[in-house]
Amino acid sequence: MKKYVLKRVLTSIGTLLAIVLVLFILMHLMPGSPFNDEKLTDVQREVIYAKYGLDDPIVVQFGRYVVNMCKGDFGVSYKISKNTPISQLIETRLPISIGIGFYAVARGAVIGLILGLLAALKRDTIIDTVCTIVSVIGVSVPSYVFALGLSYTLGFKWKIFPMLYDSADALGSSVMPSIALSMFTMASIARFTRTEMIEVLGSEYMLLAESKGLSGTKLIFTHALRNALIPIITVLAPLVVDLMTGSLVVEKIFAIPGVGSLLVNAIQSNDYNVVIALSFIYSAMYIVIMLVVDILYGIIDPRIRLGKEGD
Amino acid sequence: MSDISAYVPRKEDFRLKNETEELGLDSNFASQNFWKEVVIRFFNKRSAVIGLVLILLIILFAAIGPGMNDYTYEGMIQEEKNLAPRVSWLEKFGIFDGSETMTTSVGDMEVNKYEDAGLTDTYYWFGSDIYGRDLWTRCWSGTRVSLIIAIAAAFIDMLIGMSYGLISGFFGGKVDMVMQRFLEICNGIPRLVIVTLLLLILKPGMLTIIFALLLTEWVGMSRIARAEMLKLKEQEFVLASRTLGAGSFFIIFKEVLPNIVGPVITQVMFSIPTAIFTEAFLSFVGLGIPVPKCSLGSLISDGYNSFTTHPYQIIPPIIIMALLMLSFNLLGDGLREAFDPKMKEM
Repeated sequence: MKKYVLKRVLTSIGTLLAIVLVLFILMHLMPGSPFNDEKLTDVQREVIYAKYGLDDPIVVQFGRYVVNMCKGDFGVSYKISKNTPISQLIETRLPISIGIGFYAVARGAVIGLILGLLAALKRDTIIDTVCTIVSVIGVSVPSYVFALGLSYTLGFKWKIFPMLYDSADALGSSVMPSIALSMFTMASIARFTRTEMIEVLGSEYMLLAESKGLSGTKLIFTHALRNALIPIITVLAPLVVDLMTGSLVVEKIFAIPGVGSLLVNAIQSNDYNVVIALSFIYSAMYIVIMLVVDILYGIIDPRIRLGKEGD
Repeated sequence: MSDISAYVPRKEDFRLKNETEELGLDSNFASQNFWKEVVIRFFNKRSAVIGLVLILLIILFAAIGPGMNDYTYEGMIQEEKNLAPRVSWLEKFGIFDGSETMTTSVGDMEVNKYEDAGLTDTYYWFGSDIYGRDLWTRCWSGTRVSLIIAIAAAFIDMLIGMSYGLISGFFGGKVDMVMQRFLEICNGIPRLVIVTLLLLILKPGMLTIIFALLLTEWVGMSRIARAEMLKLKEQEFVLASRTLGAGSFFIIFKEVLPNIVGPVITQVMFSIPTAIFTEAFLSFVGLGIPVPKCSLGSLISDGYNSFTTHPYQIIPPIIIMALLMLSFNLLGDGLREAFDPKMKEM
């Protein structure tokens, strides 16, 4: 087990370093600098370059860069809000995005589980068909289409929830975005639960448990569901990634002051420092989630880590 | 205890578990061509056929749609902007007659801009946008662009991912180790980050988007190809080929490849909707196809700016995109089951 964890941690650190290197190289390749103002004289430009340390050798810049990234110091924003440290910009926005993402995952997972369970237990009935249709639609339709639909009906026509984010009513404003984001999670988990449950229900230990005379609820919850849940953990990591991509657009639609809309703004105004800082944060979160999921899976299901040590 | 021993079991006390129609039906089938069976299984699944028909319909419209009226995708007519949909043979029924409900401060009111402007003989089937461009033409040429991007990306990543996976799986050992570590690192970077950064340094355009998509999509394909290769390379036909003196690349591409076509095609069908979605997302963020060209994503993004006042502008591209993604998913599901009937639907 220790060997497995160590191997996974080392791979993760390697990945993160590779990402920092890519980000650093990209930053130097990007066309157009924020100081591309023709009114600046050469002397003024040199002064600005020296101020931001852009005239040092590349290796020195990279070394300083890695150290700063690890300390959480991403430099200052050049464009969006001049000379504000990026960590300060992110500090207030990250909790909002994580909160909405958390609501979305929680809601999606619970509803998805219920739908998948129902579909598997009532297999080949109308309930199964309805659940399958709902989950196929949920997987196929992008989250921002749901967001636009919700925003038009619930927000604009019926005025149940605020159309744009309102910090005074944070809970009410995050209902629509988190529903829109949760659709994909819900649908994937429903499909996966259904497949796993059907497989478990057909297994021989379920037959044994049933012939021992166990009651229906005990049978389903302690024997079937627990075993069906194990593989579901693996789909959580890719789901988080889709959530990140989805949140960018959904945050823009609902004007949520989160990291997603900050990234969109930064992309549009060529604020490289912010783009790179956010890319780093997104990658780091993703890698940590993947790591946790892998280790968790190794703990729950010994076959995985034994299989991996084997090759 | 005596009660139990005295009890004589009756027939009704027992019931057969898992009694289904298939039980005990053991019939013989004549051996059939693999592809013929695939086709039969595919057409037995209704949802897959619906998906296929929808895709063919959308492709047909993407091909002929822009030529069905006289407007072009970039031609702007200043006097005819923000017109609601109007179809000549439907307006008799009171729908699609060019009227729309405007929400103003004094309440809702019904306006028909065609009549107000005296355009009695003008028909915009999907309406016109804020610059007076025909949405019908723009939607279908946008669909064309989106489809080209998605299909090109899916097929190029099929080539790259498949070769990578096959080579890694076939040679095994150190080659596999190095190739798999590289893949793990690539897989560790979120797709969103790669695409965003790439589009920042390259000029937005169709080729750039295809390039960005294929950089991120090949990982899944290579995993599938590698897993299949690991399964197949121990089999006798590979050994036979090797004994006859075949080289490694001959075995990989001529012997093993034809046997993994099924899973590979299925994977391509699933990566097309992902590509369509990513393209739409990029357009929405402002890194998509440059104007005046359009894609489904950029049309949705344009329509979004006025979707509370003129909702009809955003509806057609959204419906086309949702249908496209839905039908590719249905098609992929159907193909997966047709190629591998043992695998249950997921």
